[in-house]
Amino acid sequence: MKEKIIFRKSQKGRFTDYVTKPQISIFPPSHFIPQRLLREDLNLPSLGEADVVRHYTNLSRLNYCIDTNFYPLGSCTMKYNPKVNEDLANLEEFACIHPYQREEDIQGTLEVLYNLEKLLCEITGMERFSFQPSAGAHGELTGMLIVKAFHSLKREKRFKVVVPDSSHGTNPATASMCGYQVVVVESTKEGLVDIDKLRKVVDSSTAGMMLTCPNTLGIFEEQILDIREIIHSQGGLLYYDGANFNALLGITKPSLMGFDIVHLNLHKTFSTPHGSGGPGAGAVGVRKDLVPFLPVPLVDKREAHYYLNYDLEHSIGKVRSFYGNFPVLVKTYAYLLRLGKEGLVRVAHNSLLNANYIREKLRDNYQLASPKRCMHEVVFSCKDKKEEYGVTALDIAKRLLDYGIHPPTMYFPLVVKEALMVEPTETESKETLDYFIDVMKRIDQEAKTKPSILKDAPHTTFTKRVDEVFAARNPVLKWEESGE
Amino acid sequence: MADRFFSKTHEWVRLEDDSALIGITDYAQKELGDIVFVELPSVGEKLTQFSHFGTIESTKAASDLYSPLSGEVIEVNNDLVNHPEWVNQDPYGKGWMIKIKVDNRDEIVNLLEETAYKSLIEKES
Amino acid sequence: MPYILNTPSQIKEMLEVVGLGSLEELFSHLPPSLRIRGELSLPSGLSEEELIRVVKRLAKKNKPLSKFNSFLGGGIYPHYIPSPLNHLIGRAEFYTAYTPYQAEASQGSLQAIFEYQTYICLLTGMEVSNASLYDGATSLAEAVLMSLRIKRRSKVLICESIHPEYRAVLYTYLKGSDFLVEEIKFNRDGFLDLDTLKEKIDDRVACVCIQSPNFFGLIEDLETINEIVKKKGILVILVTNPVSLAILKEPAKLGVDIVCGEGQVLGRACAWGGETFGWLATKRDYLRHLPGRIVGKTVDREGKESFCLTLQTREQHIRREKATSNICSNHSLNAIAGAIYLSLLGKEGLKKVALYSLNLAYYLYRCLEDIREIKLVFPSPFFNEFVWQVNNSYQVWEALYSKSIIPGLMLEKFYPQLKDCILTSCTEIKTKEEIDDFVICLKEVVR
Repeated sequence: MKEKIIFRKSQKGRFTDYVTKPQISIFPPSHFIPQRLLREDLNLPSLGEADVVRHYTNLSRLNYCIDTNFYPLGSCTMKYNPKVNEDLANLEEFACIHPYQREEDIQGTLEVLYNLEKLLCEITGMERFSFQPSAGAHGELTGMLIVKAFHSLKREKRFKVVVPDSSHGTNPATASMCGYQVVVVESTKEGLVDIDKLRKVVDSSTAGMMLTCPNTLGIFEEQILDIREIIHSQGGLLYYDGANFNALLGITKPSLMGFDIVHLNLHKTFSTPHGSGGPGAGAVGVRKDLVPFLPVPLVDKREAHYYLNYDLEHSIGKVRSFYGNFPVLVKTYAYLLRLGKEGLVRVAHNSLLNANYIREKLRDNYQLASPKRCMHEVVFSCKDKKEEYGVTALDIAKRLLDYGIHPPTMYFPLVVKEALMVEPTETESKETLDYFIDVMKRIDQEAKTKPSILKDAPHTTFTKRVDEVFAARNPVLKWEESGE
Repeated sequence: MADRFFSKTHEWVRLEDDSALIGITDYAQKELGDIVFVELPSVGEKLTQFSHFGTIESTKAASDLYSPLSGEVIEVNNDLVNHPEWVNQDPYGKGWMIKIKVDNRDEIVNLLEETAYKSLIEKES
Repeated sequence: MPYILNTPSQIKEMLEVVGLGSLEELFSHLPPSLRIRGELSLPSGLSEEELIRVVKRLAKKNKPLSKFNSFLGGGIYPHYIPSPLNHLIGRAEFYTAYTPYQAEASQGSLQAIFEYQTYICLLTGMEVSNASLYDGATSLAEAVLMSLRIKRRSKVLICESIHPEYRAVLYTYLKGSDFLVEEIKFNRDGFLDLDTLKEKIDDRVACVCIQSPNFFGLIEDLETINEIVKKKGILVILVTNPVSLAILKEPAKLGVDIVCGEGQVLGRACAWGGETFGWLATKRDYLRHLPGRIVGKTVDREGKESFCLTLQTREQHIRREKATSNICSNHSLNAIAGAIYLSLLGKEGLKKVALYSLNLAYYLYRCLEDIREIKLVFPSPFFNEFVWQVNNSYQVWEALYSKSIIPGLMLEKFYPQLKDCILTSCTEIKTKEEIDDFVICLKEVVR
C-alpha cells in the first residue's frame, strides 16, 4: 500500500492538544509584534495523531534497513546497530542537557567524552581527538583545515593536495573547499597507489595527501611507508580517511602507518546507525604537534574535575555549533566498552574472513577488479557482462532487490568499470553470505540466459525501477497543492 | 562534413561564413547518458579557444563545456532548457548549443579533423 | 562474542574455502613493522548488563534540565516533544536504513524527506529546500558559500547579532579561501545598525547575513534591510527559528534569497546541542547551487508516483572537486523527526507553540520591568527570549542556581560590551508558576 502524500490527508478541524495553555492572559501576536512583520496564513496540514502514526509507520515499512536486510555496501560498513546503544544514548541524563549548562552539571557527559577520546587514541595511535565533526566529510574538512593552518603558521606556500584516482568523492571535494588544487595520482593495474607517479607529483608546494587504507578496492597499501616517506620528505602531511578502518581494528594503527591526521566514521566502523543518511560523526584525531590546531573545546581533567578546554594556541576554531553529535558519541563509547580489546580484533578478523569468503566463492562468476587479496571488501567488475550480454552493474544491483538483498556499492571506485563493491561486515552470518553467493550465481546465469529479467528489475519491490532522468529533467522537489 | 572540426574534449564546431555552430559529439552524449540539463552562456559573452562556456549534466555525470574556437556568442539554443534530450537524439543538428562570431579561423589548426577525432575516441574506448 | 554470528566451526569451514589455516593469516601480507605488538591497551569487553551499569553510573553524574527551573535558550530550546515522535523515529526501518541511493529500497525515507522539504518551503515561503545539513551554523556557512558562487563576488557582510557560534563557524569555513568577511554591529537597541549597513555595501559584496529573531531574541526589520541591499544586487541570507515562522511573515515575502537555521526546535531533545539539523531553502533560480542531497518526485516503470535523490551531479560523489559542497552524510533522521513533529502539531499546534512561547516570554519581561534593580536592555519586539541586566550579575546567577534556577545565559563571554547581561528564554513548556517562582527568588536575591 502506498501512502498518499501527508498534505493531502489534512482535514480541517483535526487537531491534537499536546501543549497546555499557560495560566496567563494569552494575547495574539499582533499585541506584541507589528502586524506587517506577521504572516497572514500558515498552510500546514491539520492531522490527528493516528493519521500521523499510520502514515509514518506505513512509510517506514517501504524501507530496507539493517534490521531486515543484508546490505553488502562497500565502504559503508553496514554492520548491525546494537540496541543497547540506543537505550544508553537516550537516557534522560544525557538527552535533557542544554549545551550552555555549566560544567558542574555535565560531569557525566564530559567523563564519557574524556574516556572515549582515550579509547580512540589507543586504537589509532593519535594524541588527541575532536568530536565536533558531524560526518566523515565534515571530519575531512576539519582535517584539511588543520593541514592548511599548519602550513600557514610556518608561512609555507602550499597549494596542492594529492588524492588517488580511486578516492571517495569527498576527498577532492574537501580539498577544493579548503582552497587547494587537487592533484590526482594514478593507481597501478593492481589498484594501488603508483609510487613512481606519486614521487613525480609531490613537491614543496604539496600540502599533503588524503588516503584511505585499505583503499577503495579493499586492498592494503603495502607500500604505505614509502608513501609516507614521499609526503613527509617534502614537508607534507598524510591524512587518513578512516572509512575503511573496520579492516584494521586491533591489527595496526594509523600512527604506525605514518598518518598525521585521521578521521573515523563512527557510523561505519563503530556501529552507530546510518539514520537514512545521517546523523553520524567524523571524529578527528591528530598526532602530538598538531594538537594546538584542533577545534575547540577539548575535554580535559584537572584532579577529579572534567572541564572544557578552549585554550588551544592555534585552533582552527569551531566547525559546528556546540560540541558534536553527542548521542552518536555515547553509542560509540558503549560499543567500545562492550567489545573491549578482544572484540575489536574479532571485528577485523571476521570482516576480512567474510569478504574473502565471498571473493573466493564468486571469483569464477564475477571478474575480480584486482588480483591482490582483499581485506574487508571486494570489488568486482561487470564490464565483461556488459560487453557480452549487455547487462550492467546497475541491472545486477537492481535484480538483487528481488532476492531481498540491498545492492552493493555501484560504479565506485571510478577506476573500475561497472564496479560492484561488496563489504559484508563481520556481523553477517555464513548463512547470509551463502544466500548472497547463491543469488549472485543465479543472477550471473540470468544474465546469460534471460538478460531482460535483469534489465527490467526490480520486479518484486513495491516501487519498480524509478525514472531518475525524469526526476532530474523536471525537478519537482516539494508538494504543491495545484500540482495534483 | 569537411567544415566540421573537433576538440579533444569532445565538442564539435561547424563553420558557416564568419560564424560557427558548436555542440558536443555523439561519443560525448553516449558517454554522458540521458542529458538532464544544459547550462549555456549569455549572448554577448566573449570566449577564447578552449575556455569554459557552460556545463552539461546527465543523472550520473556533469561535464564542463569548452569552446573549440574564440569568438563572441551571438546565439544560444534556448530550446535545450525544455528539451535537453535533443542533445542525445541529434547532437549535430537539433542539439546544437551556441553560435559564435569567429575571431580567428586560423585557430582551427589546434583542432582535430574527423578522422583524427575518430581515432582519438577509438583509443579512449 | 557480541554481534558476531559466525561460530568456530563456521569460521573453520570458511577458512578452508579461502585456503588459509587461521584468521591471523588474513593479515599476513601486512608489513610486520606495522603490526600492533601484543594487544591494544584497552580493557576487555563488558557484558551487556555491566555496560548498562557503567554508563548509567556516569549518566547519574549529570544534572539534567528536569532538575532545574531553567530559562536557557541561545539557539537550543526545550520544546514539548509529542510522545508518538520518538516511537516513530525509533522504528528500525528509519534509523537503521542507509542513505536512499537505491530508490526502490527506500521509498519510506524518500517520501518522508520529500515531505520535510515541503514543510520547510511552507514555513519559509521558499521554492526549494535541501534534505538537511549538520546544524544551523554549518547551514549558514553553506548558504554563504552558495551566495559567493552565485554572485561570483568576494565579500560577505554578517551581523554581530547572529549567534556567536555560527559566526565562528563561518570564519572557520572561509579560512580555506580569499573571501573577506566584515561584521556589522548592532545598534544600542540590539538591532542591525542600518547606517553601518548602508556604508558597507558595495559591488564586491555577495551577501548580507542577518538573523531574525536575532541572538538577543529581537525581530529585525527585514523589509527595510532588503530595500537597502537590493540596490547593489546583494543576496539576503536569513538565519531564523522555524517555530517563530508559525507567526512571523514568510522570509520569501520579505525579499530574503536564502533562508537557513537550526532545526532542533522541531521535535529534537536538547542533547547538549547534539541532536541538531541544519535546514536551507532558497529560490528555484538557485537550485543548482544548493549543497547537499535533494529528493525529487518521479515515476517508476509502471507509472507509479515515486521519489528519488535527484540533481546528484551537484554532489561530491559525482562532481568531486567541483561539487557545491563536500557534504555526504547529512542529518536525515533528525530532519525526518522534524517533519513528524510538524505533522503531529499541525497548523494549530505549531501556532500555539509559538504563541505560548511569545506570551510567556513577554509575561516574564513585564514581571522583570517591575523590579527596580533590573534593567531591560533592549526594547520590543522579540520572540521567545530577551536580554536583561543586573548589577553583580555573577552573584545573582549563582544565588539563583543554588535554588535550582538557571536564569539564562551570561552574555559577557560572547559580547564583552554586554557586561552583567543575561539572555533569558521561555518556551511553551514553562508554566506561570515557574516564572513567578523565578521572579520571587530574583527579587529576594537583588534586594
